[in-house]
Amino acid sequence: MNLMNADPPEAARAEPDDEMALDPRVQESIGRSLKAHYDELVNAPVPDRFLVLLAQLEDTERRLKAEGGADERG
Amino acid sequence: MSAADFKDGLIAEIPNLRAFAASLSGSMQLADDLVQDTLLKAWGNAEKFQPGTSLRAWLFTILRNTYYSLYRKRGREVQDSEGTYADRLATHGNQESHLDLADFRKALAKLPEEQREVLIMVGATGLSYEETAEICGVAIGTIKSRVNRARAKLAELLSIGGVDDLGPDHRITAAVQRAGPETVGS
Repeated sequence: MNLMNADPPEAARAEPDDEMALDPRVQESIGRSLKAHYDELVNAPVPDRFLVLLAQLEDTERRLKAEGGADERG
Repeated sequence: MSAADFKDGLIAEIPNLRAFAASLSGSMQLADDLVQDTLLKAWGNAEKFQPGTSLRAWLFTILRNTYYSLYRKRGREVQDSEGTYADRLATHGNQESHLDLADFRKALAKLPEEQREVLIMVGATGLSYEETAEICGVAIGTIKSRVNRARAKLAELLSIGGVDDLGPDHRITAAVQRAGPETVGS
């Protein structure tokens, strides 16, 4: 996060003009809609395929580790 | 971090990854392919994740890079042939908010990608400006000005209907003109 301390001059100059841009009520309304949009997507049911995929990846890793361990011992 | 903990962390982030991917690509089907690729890459690069830092920010970085390198073109093709997820997504809640949300999503889909992604990250995902700047590889000032341009553009697009509830039209129009839809400083 420390990498972000130095803003390039062009970005710093662009800010003040943009800062005053909108009526706070409009900003608030946009903020609410944005959350409503995103939250509906977040709350959508998650397809099983992802849990299946991660379980497969975990199994594969366990198996490889077990085989690796056997090789070392043998 | 054990493999089991890492896996649990990934599972917990799936809903956010899907929501961000859908917002980025405009397609739920594409979003799920994008999330699957992201999970595979995250698993394969697990040792590069630093425990104690934000897993969400790390995963969003992977997802975003994957989108821009592999999915962007496909996204446009899918949207052309099937419409955006906004047209098909099953919605819950009352009719009034459904209509508002549908209008909002159409407007959101019209924003330039670089504005839409930062507006979503800063305004909905709980990521900070700092994290968003790091994910996008630009300065915080650039993120702030993109967010402000995105808001101004949305206000402009949405002013066709419903703005009477918010305030006098001329104030919004003046604000939008001040911000200027094409004053791209970066």
